[in-house]
Amino acid sequence: MWGGAVFCGAALFVSGRGLPQHPLRVTLVAPASVRQGKPVPVTLRLTNTSDAPVTVYLTGRTITFDIIVERAGEVVWRRLDHVATQQIVQVKTLAPGETLELRARWRAAAPPGNYTVTGVIPTDREPLRAASVSLRIKP
Amino acid sequence: MNRPSTTIRVAAAAALVVAAACSDGTRSTGPEPAPVLRTAQAPDLGSLARTVPGFGGLFLDHGVPTVYLTDVTKRGAAERALGAFAQSRGFAPGDIRVLQGRYAYGDLDRWTQAVSYEAFDQGGVVFVDLDEAANRVLVGVERGASHANIRGLAARLGVPAEALVVRETDPIVYAATLQDQVRPVVAGVQIHFGNFLCSIGFNAVSGGQNSFVTASHCTNKQGGVEGTQYFQSLSSQANSFIGTEVADPAYKRNLAPGCPKGKLCRFSDASRAAYAAGVPFTLGGIAQTSGPNNGSLTITGTFSITSEGNAVVGDVANKVGRTTGWTQGVVTNTCVNTGVSGTRIVQLCQTFVSAGVGGGDSGSDVFGQTGGSSVRLLGILWGGNQAGTQFVYSPITNVEQELGPLTTF
Repeated sequence: MWGGAVFCGAALFVSGRGLPQHPLRVTLVAPASVRQGKPVPVTLRLTNTSDAPVTVYLTGRTITFDIIVERAGEVVWRRLDHVATQQIVQVKTLAPGETLELRARWRAAAPPGNYTVTGVIPTDREPLRAASVSLRIKP
Repeated sequence: MNRPSTTIRVAAAAALVVAAACSDGTRSTGPEPAPVLRTAQAPDLGSLARTVPGFGGLFLDHGVPTVYLTDVTKRGAAERALGAFAQSRGFAPGDIRVLQGRYAYGDLDRWTQAVSYEAFDQGGVVFVDLDEAANRVLVGVERGASHANIRGLAARLGVPAEALVVRETDPIVYAATLQDQVRPVVAGVQIHFGNFLCSIGFNAVSGGQNSFVTASHCTNKQGGVEGTQYFQSLSSQANSFIGTEVADPAYKRNLAPGCPKGKLCRFSDASRAAYAAGVPFTLGGIAQTSGPNNGSLTITGTFSITSEGNAVVGDVANKVGRTTGWTQGVVTNTCVNTGVSGTRIVQLCQTFVSAGVGGGDSGSDVFGQTGGSSVRLLGILWGGNQAGTQFVYSPITNVEQELGPLTTF
């Protein structure tokens, strides 16, 4: 459920493959706070902010992406922890202004406190990373 | 020879190094590389031939400007013509070393061009060079190629036998990578279908049909035959269509033994495609890069499958794939029922290896080294962990259980 949560986002600009002058923007959107035990919806957005198509080499038949929740530098939850993913490349071209959205959900089964949430989209080279956002788990 | 083609010069220099131990005929002094690369313009050798009587060649020997003269008493002319060049290299004109030459540069140039014009019609000729460091015409031939044919040709063209050196050398080839178009097709190289990229696992013959095997999920639909069309390395390249999917068993519920409740199972993530007519491939060939776990994608040779087998925990396994190249590590788990992230699929009885993997390596060959370039085929890679430090493969026995008997070498 998204209702009642305050959302915040963080973005990181990266270069598109072979088109360094055409940046991609990776944004992570997550609620600023949730109650303990409630689901935390997380959205990773990959946007072509340039005025030309950008081709990205993502992985997985269904695009693979990772969400990492940390507290004081320790990983509390990782979406791709202990799973085997298919090692296939999906070639995807983003039109100018197009955004690819990747959604995940984590149940906030962790003690109350302050956490950070990070998003990573693997490619066939360096992964695309979003900047971290803060998440507060309330009692 | 002072030709404009840098590529040829570099190739010839490389060939000289390779061939150093297997020359016939006159010994070359062999140019030693200068200790420091400089940008000073090298003299035009044709001009030197016109201005220095008996000039036979110029090179740097351990960095020292060195010339061949058929008449060493003409040293003064050489010093005048090459003084500025020597100074740009840190030497006085008097430091120029003069060697007794046997042939004038003009003659060598004429003979080199004449031999070059006709020699490439002979099989196995790699290069023809005016070797200014040896004062000879140098012809590089592939190992096993006839030296006598070249010597006969040179004699017909009026080249003195003593002026010609024939050396065996490796052929000069384009430095292809695992992501380039590679013919004959070998395992480990990139394949393209739809909007996906994978790797070839191995070549095979099945019921007389020339084929290659890759991952089942490297088809238009995982499980079931849809006639996926494959290109190597990209569909946008000319002559890149290589084959069509012909075998990919369906995933099943209740596949005995061991398919978990509610899941779809198979014992291998493998499919077979038939090569299109005329596509050259090497049965048993796996692309080899310069070394394991070094990240290189440049193909430097070929592994040869000489057997098939299964691994046990503690064995060392390898793979070559289009994204992370040749990686190698220890088998950590065998016969593992493995869930596939984001699907209802469970792959039964798979093998885990602690080695690098990346997106695009799906379908890769997995093998063990048995000595030299010989390898034992172990299976087909299909998965990995999020860190890219562990890969998962389907053992070859599982692959052949589901695709049928395959001749792989």
